Amino acid sequence: MDSMESSYTRLIKGNQVWAKEKLDQDPNFFKNLVLGQNPQYLWIGCSDSRVPANEITNTKSGEIFVHRNIANVVVHTDMNLLSVLYYAVEVLHVKHVIVCGHYGCGGVIAAMNNKDNGFVNNWLRNIKEVYQKHSKELLAISDMRERENRLVELNVIEQVLNLGKTKIVQQAWKRRELQVHGWVYGFDNGLIKDLKVMMDEIGDIDPIFRYDI
Amino acid sequence: MLASYNQLFHNNKKWVQQKLMEDPEYFIKLGKGQAPDYLWIGCSDSRVPANEITGTEPGEMFVHRNIANMVVHSDMNLLSVLSYAVEVLKVKHIIVCGHYECGGVIAAMGNKQYGLIDNWLRHIKDVYRLHEKELDGIADSRLKARRFVEVNVIEQVADLCKTTIVQNAWKKKQTLAVHGWVYDINDGFLKDLKVSVVNKEELHSVYHIDAQ
Repeated sequence: MDSMESSYTRLIKGNQVWAKEKLDQDPNFFKNLVLGQNPQYLWIGCSDSRVPANEITNTKSGEIFVHRNIANVVVHTDMNLLSVLYYAVEVLHVKHVIVCGHYGCGGVIAAMNNKDNGFVNNWLRNIKEVYQKHSKELLAISDMRERENRLVELNVIEQVLNLGKTKIVQQAWKRRELQVHGWVYGFDNGLIKDLKVMMDEIGDIDPIFRYDI
Repeated sequence: MLASYNQLFHNNKKWVQQKLMEDPEYFIKLGKGQAPDYLWIGCSDSRVPANEITGTEPGEMFVHRNIANMVVHSDMNLLSVLSYAVEVLKVKHIIVCGHYECGGVIAAMGNKQYGLIDNWLRHIKDVYRLHEKELDGIADSRLKARRFVEVNVIEQVADLCKTTIVQNAWKKKQTLAVHGWVYDINDGFLKDLKVSVVNKEELHSVYHIDAQ
């Protein structure tokens, strides 16, 4: 079997092993899943293969609603993300929205330099804006690795703010409890770091971005 | 609120301990970089976690998840993911994985107004129109929804092949296959729809794009 074929079929085999394991542990596992989903969390994370939401939070099927894109960016005109956010907040009534970045993020590092990355330049522009906004703080950090790490954190903080600027989140705040959090995951130790930038009310948002709802 | 929040940190620490017990260098290895073979385009639905259901480990699968695993040709979010996965990481397989009981697909079958998300669901309605004859012929609404999920995946596979990103990779003789799967929440099994594409020949010629 060539490597193309074997890399493909191993996923199907992996699935069969997994499904059997789940049934052995709990004969009602899939019967319960089929009844519907009731996740408490929306995860907005990076597409990076090393940052799977469920593994690193040790959560099971049904627990986390997930959106993953390049460098966990929240763009206010992105219908893809907004549709996910809308469904999670308005229909599923999640309690927590988590933006989780990660140190060593290829997207963030690419946005820090001037290389032409082709198509993806358009997306990375959003991170360049974060850099510009915080350039004073970033330029004061001489160690490049530390500067990258700080931009990863600042990028998460800005995306948390971007979520708070949406009508979807503000409308939920008007009616019920909803927390927006900013986290960073580190490969060095596998641990999640809470950036302690949680927002749960409209007062956390700059007045120009508030909507009368 | 606090309990559900703290639970994740507690879980994370437990997971780290487990991984370190299995391999003390686990995180050092991960920190060196990623070389995934797969790009997964799946649904945001909490019941369809890509790594679990395929038995894959961190580092193996680049992942994008949105409402109803859609590939919209002007969506900069998905296209950026696709560009990075194909041009930088050079994945070998792109998998569009839908799932039965998909809320997005079921919503697109009806006429209810939901709000902002209606704009996204419109893309799924367009799939219905393309397969109207077949879908209208299915009387049982549950079976119709199941088939709608499948044809939606098939259309997203085709939409991937229509992108310059995928066609340029084929032009460069990069090994790249695009597959369509459906996950069945009823029994946990993945179903291969057998619609894998490895070149642009099957595409209508209007979608063929000459190399620059």
